[in-house]
Amino acid sequence: MGADVVTISCDTQYVHLAWQKDEKMLADVKYPMGADPTGNLASLFGVYDEEKGLALRGTFIISPEGVLLNSEVNFFNMGRNIDELMRKFKANLHLAKKQNEGCPSKWKEEGDKTLVPSADLVGKVFEALQ
Amino acid sequence: MHHEEEEDPMDLVCCGLKIGQRVPDFKIATFEPSKGDFGEFSFSTQKKDNKKWTILFFYPADFTFV
Repeated sequence: MGADVVTISCDTQYVHLAWQKDEKMLADVKYPMGADPTGNLASLFGVYDEEKGLALRGTFIISPEGVLLNSEVNFFNMGRNIDELMRKFKANLHLAKKQNEGCPSKWKEEGDKTLVPSADLVGKVFEALQ
Repeated sequence: MHHEEEEDPMDLVCCGLKIGQRVPDFKIATFEPSKGDFGEFSFSTQKKDNKKWTILFFYPADFTFV
């Protein structure tokens, strides 16, 4: 799909190996499982909980040029919606090709209506989205 | 120290990268299920050689739920 996913927790790579081998739900995992036991990478992204020594549930989307474009961070007890992650990623792909456009809140996939910000659009967003 | 140390809310302001910032180069040790082996993910390689999008997915701990 054009993105490399890397999962990261503060477990070591050895624990990742053991977990992936043990948990049936991870049997089909193909992405690298990153180990951040020092919490340095989690701290860089502002998701390291020093007291617990654990990373919060943070997802970050980075462009091929290396710019951080999206972040979503939840507290430990709330999972993230993967459909929403897919939506944001697809929107990023579209916007990388159409740099004069914006994806409105209801945009879900390629083909949905976008907006082209301009002086003409001011006060006319409702009409533009029909 | 006998007085209670109150957390200064400003200390808790999220340090960390901001949206729109360039992510600095970093490396992280990995386990790669596709190879069944340990490896390393290098962000500078990702930018220079792979030229692909990167999605980093942080989570608290292996062997837990949610």
